[in-house]
Amino acid sequence: MTAPRLMAARMLRRNRHSLLGMRGAITAWLGFSAILLLLFIERDGAIRMINWLRAHTLLCDGLALVASALMVARRRALKRAEFARSWLAAVPIRASTARWEALIIEALPALVAMAMLTALAVVIALAILLGRLLAVSLGAASLSLLSVLGGLMSGIAVGVIASFAMPAPKPVDLPPGSRYVPHNRARKSAAIRPSLRALGIWPVRQMFAWAQPKVVARASIPILLIMPLGTTADAAMVAIGMAGIGGGLVLLSRAVILVSRVSRRWMAPLPARAAAVTRALLFPTLGAIVAASAAEILLLLMFDVGFIKAFGGACASR
Amino acid sequence: MSGNILEVRGLRAGYGLRTVLEDISITLTSGDWFVLLGPNGCGKSTLLDCVVGRLKPAGGEICIGGYSLTKNPYEAKRELGYGCAPDALPALLTSRQCLEVHAGAKGLSAISDNLLALAEQMRFSPYLESFVDTLSLGTRQKLAVLLALVGDPKLIVLDEAFNGLDPASALVLKRHLRSRIESRGGALLLATHSLDIVEHYADRAAVLIEGKLRHEWSRDELQLLRESRGDFEAALAQATLDTQ
Repeated sequence: MTAPRLMAARMLRRNRHSLLGMRGAITAWLGFSAILLLLFIERDGAIRMINWLRAHTLLCDGLALVASALMVARRRALKRAEFARSWLAAVPIRASTARWEALIIEALPALVAMAMLTALAVVIALAILLGRLLAVSLGAASLSLLSVLGGLMSGIAVGVIASFAMPAPKPVDLPPGSRYVPHNRARKSAAIRPSLRALGIWPVRQMFAWAQPKVVARASIPILLIMPLGTTADAAMVAIGMAGIGGGLVLLSRAVILVSRVSRRWMAPLPARAAAVTRALLFPTLGAIVAASAAEILLLLMFDVGFIKAFGGACASR
Repeated sequence: MSGNILEVRGLRAGYGLRTVLEDISITLTSGDWFVLLGPNGCGKSTLLDCVVGRLKPAGGEICIGGYSLTKNPYEAKRELGYGCAPDALPALLTSRQCLEVHAGAKGLSAISDNLLALAEQMRFSPYLESFVDTLSLGTRQKLAVLLALVGDPKLIVLDEAFNGLDPASALVLKRHLRSRIESRGGALLLATHSLDIVEHYADRAAVLIEGKLRHEWSRDELQLLRESRGDFEAALAQATLDTQ
C-alpha cells in the first residue's frame, strides 16, 4: 500500500494542473525572469546583501532554525488535526509508511526551501566551475553565497529536528463568519417587517466576517514594520487608521461583488424588481464607501503633515 | 390563461454541451401533490431549477399560474414559492432578515399568522435572531421551507425538503403541506427519495431517469396501490426496470 495522503495530493495537483494549463507555467516563468532581471539590475546591492549575510551568518542560521522549527511544529499540529477529520483517516496503512508520509507532509515547507537553496547552490557551483574553465573570475561573492546557502540549509534542517522537541501549538479553527459581525438584536416578540433593507447590511457584514481579529492582527504587522524610525506615536496611529480604512474599503468592494452574485442566485425565484434589489443592496454600501473615503482623506491630510515632520526630523538627526 | 397551476411543455435543458433534460412535460392542477422520484444525478434538481427560473432552459415552455416564466417572469414568480438547498441560504443574515427579504420581495405588508404558527410548531421560532451560519442543517432546512411558504404561493417547489428534519418536524410539515394545498387550492412539486411521502401523501408521482420522465403514477393508480397495500418500492423498481 502506497502513502494514501501523498497519492491524493498528487492527484489533486494533477487535476488542478490540467485546469490551469499553460497559464500557470507562463506566470511562473515570467515571475522567475522578473526576479532574475531585478537581481541583474541591482547586482551591486545583491552583492552587498550577500556579504552582509556572510558577516552575520550565525544570526541568519539561527533565524532559519527558529523559523523552520516554529513553522514545522505548527504545520504538524494543523495537519494532524486535519488528518483526523480527513476522508482518508480510516484507510489501512503500515505504521512505517504512515511515519515517513507524515514527516514529508509536515516538513514540506522546510523541504521545499532546502530544495530551492540546493538548486541555487548547484547553479552557482556550476557557474564557478565554468568560470574557472574559461579563466573568468566570478569574484568572492559567489563563494560567499555558497557559504550563506550552506548555513541556511543547515539551520532549516536542524530546525526540522528541533520542531519535534517543541510543544504542539493548539490548532485554530476560524469561527463562523458571523461571530465578529456587529448586529442589533431585534426583540423576540417584534413583528417581522417585510423589507429588502437587510440586503444593504449584507456586504458590510461580509467585510467584518473577513476582517476577523486574527487576520487584522497579522495584516497590521507589515504596516508597523515599514514605519521609519522616528515616527511619532500620533503619526503611527494615523498610519494604522489609514491602513485599516483602506483595507476595509478593499474588503467592502470585494464583498459587494460577492454578495451581488450570491443574492442574485438566492433571489432568482422571487418576484423582486431588479431596480429595487439594486437600490436596497448598493445604496447603504455606497454610503459606507463614501463615508470611509472621506475619513481616509481626512487621515491622509493629517498623516501627510505628521509624516513630513517625522521624516524631516529623522533626516535632520542623521 | 388556463386553470393549471404549473405547465411544463417540451422542456429541454442542460449545462454547456451536456443535455440533462429532454422533452419533459408536466401539468399540475389545483390540489396536486406531485412527487418527482429518480436516481441520483438524473436531473431532478435541474428540472426544479428550470421551473423556478434559476436555470434558463434550452427549449420548451414553463407557465406558472397561467403566466409564462420567460415572457412574464414577475407575474409567474408571484405565484411561486421555492425552498432552496440549506447551503444556498445567505450565511450572514439572520433567519428573521431572510423572512423579511422574502416577504419584501413579494410585496407583502406582513407575514401570515399561519406561517408563524408553523414556525412555532416546528420549534423554529427560537432561531429567528440567529445567523444562518450558526444554524444546524435541519434548522436551515426548516428556514428554507418557511421561506418557500412566504406569501401563500400557489405553486410550492421543494427540493429534498425533508432531509435533515427531525421526525416530529417532518410530520408537522407534511400535514401542513397537505392541508395547505387542499384548503387553498395550491400545488406542490417535490423532488425526493422518500417513498413514504408517495405512500401516504402524494397525489401523483413520476420517475425521472436519464433526463426523461419514464413512468408516471396517476392519482387513481396511487390510490389503488394504497388500497391493495402494494409495495411502492417494488413498483418503483419495476417501473425503473421496465424502462431499461
